[in-house]
Amino acid sequence: MSTDMLSIRNLDVHFPISNGQVVRAVDGVTLSLKPGETVGLVGESGSGKTTVGKTVLRLVEATAGEIDIDGLDVRAAGQKGLKALRRKAQIIFQDPHSSLNPRMTIRRAVAEGLILNTSLRGNALREKVAEMLIAMGLPPQFHDRFPHELSGGQKQRVCIARALVLEPDLLVLDEPTSALDVSVQAQILGVLKDLRLSRPRLTQLFISHNLAVIRFLCDRVAVMYLGKIVEEGPVAEVFGDPRHPYTRALLSAVPVPSAVERPERLRLTGDIPSPANVPKGCAFHTRCPIAKVGVCDTRAPEPVPLSSGRQALCHFADQTKGALSA
Amino acid sequence: MTDSSTPTLEIRDFSLVFDTFDGTYHAIDKVNLTLRPGEAMGLVGETGCGKSVLTRAAFGLVPTPPARITSGSVTLEGRELLGLSDRALRGVRGKDVAMIFQDPMTYLNPVFRIGTQLVDAIRAQSGGKASKAEARALALEMLDKVHLPNPERQFRSYPHELSGGMRQRVLIAMALAAKPKLLIADEPTTALDVTIQAQILDLMAELVEDMGLTMIMISHDLGVVAQVCSRVAVMYAGKIVEDAPIRQIFDAPSHPYTQGLLAALPHPFKPVDKLASIPGSLPDLLNPPEGCRFAARCAKAHAACAAPVDFRTVGPGHEVACTLYDLAETKELAHEH
Repeated sequence: MSTDMLSIRNLDVHFPISNGQVVRAVDGVTLSLKPGETVGLVGESGSGKTTVGKTVLRLVEATAGEIDIDGLDVRAAGQKGLKALRRKAQIIFQDPHSSLNPRMTIRRAVAEGLILNTSLRGNALREKVAEMLIAMGLPPQFHDRFPHELSGGQKQRVCIARALVLEPDLLVLDEPTSALDVSVQAQILGVLKDLRLSRPRLTQLFISHNLAVIRFLCDRVAVMYLGKIVEEGPVAEVFGDPRHPYTRALLSAVPVPSAVERPERLRLTGDIPSPANVPKGCAFHTRCPIAKVGVCDTRAPEPVPLSSGRQALCHFADQTKGALSA
Repeated sequence: MTDSSTPTLEIRDFSLVFDTFDGTYHAIDKVNLTLRPGEAMGLVGETGCGKSVLTRAAFGLVPTPPARITSGSVTLEGRELLGLSDRALRGVRGKDVAMIFQDPMTYLNPVFRIGTQLVDAIRAQSGGKASKAEARALALEMLDKVHLPNPERQFRSYPHELSGGMRQRVLIAMALAAKPKLLIADEPTTALDVTIQAQILDLMAELVEDMGLTMIMISHDLGVVAQVCSRVAVMYAGKIVEDAPIRQIFDAPSHPYTQGLLAALPHPFKPVDKLASIPGSLPDLLNPPEGCRFAARCAKAHAACAAPVDFRTVGPGHEVACTLYDLAETKELAHEH
């Protein structure tokens, strides 16, 4: 356990709403990331994936559970501990425009973290910032520009540069390419993939609803549904032979940009239930095509360990081998 | 499908500019587009390529000024639309041409019940001829057609009580109640989750198949278009660069821009080592290049690209605006692809 860069154990994040009800945004999530690993967290809106990401950096307070970043207890950290933590762990958001101060040049935006966290000043600071921006593909003539003078892809590069200049060990990426066009997305994904070679210790938690992007970038994937991880494992194996019916349905719903090679559709009816009113038993049973009355609607499933570090949260996970394959 | 003599929609030589303080912005340049009855066509391109402006301006939905249509014609079943009065155009929109958009919540009034809004829309579409009871009956029939669960109950719901997918179904029902000649769907599933998106795309494919719906579906996602459309036109910087049957786009993409777009897409079921990205950025449309607008970013650009480029036919129903196909050897290359 101590070798993990990020370790999340039994994390609950509950938000109270009116008349004593509680939204169980995250419900008993356990996930660990080894140094240098890139793990994808995938799910639809309301599945709790973003809340997990924010809780890891303590931008949202957890209700229960433990989070360690490189051995540092995130939930117990005080003022000082938090400052150290924020240096170690950085986050990149979906919309780069609203994450940058419109009145700061991008040079200043990238320098700010260094000014707050290090003693670098003057020329040394200037050089370090310029070096970082150039590494992200932003030549010097851009460095004194303001965010509105840059395109979306360029702004996202600035956000990545700002996160990386502090040399964090953990990077949480929350839908970093969803607001970008495909050709620009390809550039940003290229930058992120190159980081895996140039910074072998950098660990990435990549939150996305886009399965193709996760496939391209991640070693492992965790699929979330209504606050729970329903399936977890190496990305090629999970996508090649999904063992939870939700994973299968999600994979078969992806519009594939080719006329052939579509997995057979597993159609889901209905909408995602409200996380304020999670169905009894297995949370997925209301939409599940293989749900059994008397089992799935009464008993909550336990994670079923499968081969090679895989697990699925389904009563029938060990019986679905191949049967659900995409 | 049936009558091939009169296309449902024919856009000819359509150009549109925006007059700005910085100069004239050439947003749409000499676009040609023909849509036959029963055809579902995808219009694909990246942000700012003009795909939404084109389909809105054709039906008088882009304010002039600042926009100015500088050339062309738009005919709907043979009737010229450009130059019609606002009043006449209002009669066309909603009745002959219906539209659905990306964010269904924005297009429903939050303070009225779904049923009230449907009945009002249907009565307006009929020019006030339909009685309330008739409109109600038709509204319920349409809600059933778009597979909204419990139509009777949802009739009394407010928009906020419905999920995003259900709201989009309501808008599709509203759009199709007047049996329009043409449906414009502008990114209809972009705001929805993948499993809900799949449901809406299933519905649209079913409507095209069963009701013979004629549709233009605007999207930035070639994968989405592939689920519903039989043909696709790719736009870049205000021009259509390729127009082809959907299979041809994937099997033999011919314009370097289309090829670039496809190579930039990660694939959920295939390991991909490297994604190709398209270097450079969009041309400045205040001073657009005279020739191919993609030439500055194109690895295969040559001298002929500096002159205006027309369409070449490279296969059955497959046209591409690229000079490469004048060279004999590339022609063969395209077909081997």
